Amino acid sequence: MKLPFLLLVALCGVALNADAQAMFRGNPAHTGVYSGPAPRQFHEVKWKFPTGNRIVASPVIEGRIIYFGGDDGYVYAVDSETGRQIWKTKTRGPVSATPALANQTLYVGSYDGNFYALNAENGELKWKFATEGERRFEAKGLNGWQPKNQTVADPFDIFLSSPVVFDGAVYFGSGDGNVYRLDANTGALNWRFQTGDVVHASPAFADNTIFVGSWDSYFYAIDAKNGKQKWRFHGGEDALIHNQVGFQSSPAIMDGVVYTGCRDAQLHALDAATGEEKWKFDNQLSWVVTSPAVLDGKVYFATSDSALFHVVEAATGKSLVKEDGRAYMFSSPAVVNDTVFIGILNGSLMARDAGTGKLLWEFQTGASKENKGWILTAERRFNIPLLFFDNWREGPLVAQDRTLGIGSVFSSPLVANGTIYFGSTDGFLYAID
Amino acid sequence: MNNLELSTRRSGNFSGLTIIAISALTLVVASTATEAAEGSPLEGRWSGKIQIPGHELFLIVDLAHTANWSGSATLPGLNVKGAALNDINVQGADISFAVQAMTGPSVESPKIKARLTDRKLVGDFLQGGNTAHFVLEKTGPPQVEEPPHSTPVAKEFEGEWNGGYELMGYPRKVAIKLQNHAPQPASAEWVIVGKKVNNLPVDRITQQGNFITIESSAFGVSYEGRLENGEIHGTVLQGPIEVALVLRRPK
Repeated sequence: MKLPFLLLVALCGVALNADAQAMFRGNPAHTGVYSGPAPRQFHEVKWKFPTGNRIVASPVIEGRIIYFGGDDGYVYAVDSETGRQIWKTKTRGPVSATPALANQTLYVGSYDGNFYALNAENGELKWKFATEGERRFEAKGLNGWQPKNQTVADPFDIFLSSPVVFDGAVYFGSGDGNVYRLDANTGALNWRFQTGDVVHASPAFADNTIFVGSWDSYFYAIDAKNGKQKWRFHGGEDALIHNQVGFQSSPAIMDGVVYTGCRDAQLHALDAATGEEKWKFDNQLSWVVTSPAVLDGKVYFATSDSALFHVVEAATGKSLVKEDGRAYMFSSPAVVNDTVFIGILNGSLMARDAGTGKLLWEFQTGASKENKGWILTAERRFNIPLLFFDNWREGPLVAQDRTLGIGSVFSSPLVANGTIYFGSTDGFLYAID
Repeated sequence: MNNLELSTRRSGNFSGLTIIAISALTLVVASTATEAAEGSPLEGRWSGKIQIPGHELFLIVDLAHTANWSGSATLPGLNVKGAALNDINVQGADISFAVQAMTGPSVESPKIKARLTDRKLVGDFLQGGNTAHFVLEKTGPPQVEEPPHSTPVAKEFEGEWNGGYELMGYPRKVAIKLQNHAPQPASAEWVIVGKKVNNLPVDRITQQGNFITIESSAFGVSYEGRLENGEIHGTVLQGPIEVALVLRRPK
């Protein structure tokens, strides 16, 4: 019974059941809304699960099992109650995408250029599909970094595209510029849709349409059945330093409207049927990498450099709440009843009141508290003068890498049964309540 | 040592006794000069490490006193060389100052508070609200670096200039008005109009031949250009960004 589920999302925009959480943003429309209790106060770290490298992707849950990918190349299954490992399966590259689960199969892509279908019970390989290969967005003189004739891979292109599974098909984007539809049972290619650049945003599904943005600065609506373009929307361009261009944010679909962030510093609201822009919210040159959450006529999102948490009116884009998050936010907000959870790159996870935006509590990783090398100021903002002082050659790349040493939370929180699960660049998956 | 060797080589026809006499005289003069330079025990070049957690940072501070205190600081690990010291305050064995460098969004210049203790400069380095301890040792006389000064500008540069450029998809209009006060340094009014009207405080204008540089450290923006056929062809530098800008006389 798939249609009633979509209708529930589209018409009511209310809580989703636990099964619906087994993919990025909790459902095919990527609304970022979760059901069940949400802790309004921080109590304790229930457990933390160590991996061999950073975790930037997000966990999903089915039953009492948490599934997630790590940059150490493994896909993990962990008991949500105890934090004990159930199985792990090795890929040959960082797994910087959030898996999707359907019919006891776990689907996820890896930086090794392969897309995997694993048996959710034991992690055994069911099939894998070779894309044309992964890569990061890149450009000459990216972000003004020198020498300006040097092509640089964007270190802020953190995530891989997370798949969406619907009606026996799995859809995902790739660094090769394609959006793929595969047969979920066999891995056979149904169609692929070529865009002009890297696709690391995660496609959303609604009304038999795949919605996804590309780093070619276009946002696409693709017929889910045949892979034909329905419409495309042109985001901002930045021919000079390629900083204000490209869709890294994944869209959320609600009531016939597509909400998506963009590196052009806008949150765009597009008509899902036509691609016509209904409104946009200007973030003053600050990227919107987070994927918006949508509930009860409100859109929740956050920004990078300006470090702002926003709530805007879904119908008009009018600002309702604007709160200082102190550091870049790439994590996407999870809305649970009257509470919003979001990760911050300063090594924190914050809980805010969904109505007022006021901070309820904040959790800080150990590495963030230690603040080795003064990566953060005393206010827990990024200490830019101590980090990004060298604009030449590998200087900015080294600086960006250093920032990850404080346990940045790129991961979008998963909330289930009153517990919040998220990964950190300190290499741990946290369960807190 | 090296200076003495040089003078010995140059004075090849001097007798050995003359060389010894000159050497002795040199030592006396040098000693007197050192005492004068060390009128305050705080004067000198101070070197050591700041104990930032998980990251030692090398710091060199040059302090000199003539009519007033002056100084500069070098942090080799942070691309800071000869940065001016501001707000130098000396009270007995205590000294405090700010380093004119390493500013950024929500981050002020680093501040140093120290006390001369057992011939060492012991204190705290404050940056971004964080504090770390340091111990510096005197390694020689001060080598304070003078900050570059503005110059007068030639008549050809004087007056109003207009231009425009595009940054991150947004157009900007530029108006610069240069005023000469020779032999005093020139002054400038600099307005950039984008979404907002920004009046940039100009803290340095330098002309060398056909080249002119205009700097606004408060905005982190500068312009470097070359006068060619009545136009200035140059580049706006804003943070890491370089954008071409041609300035022309208003019509």
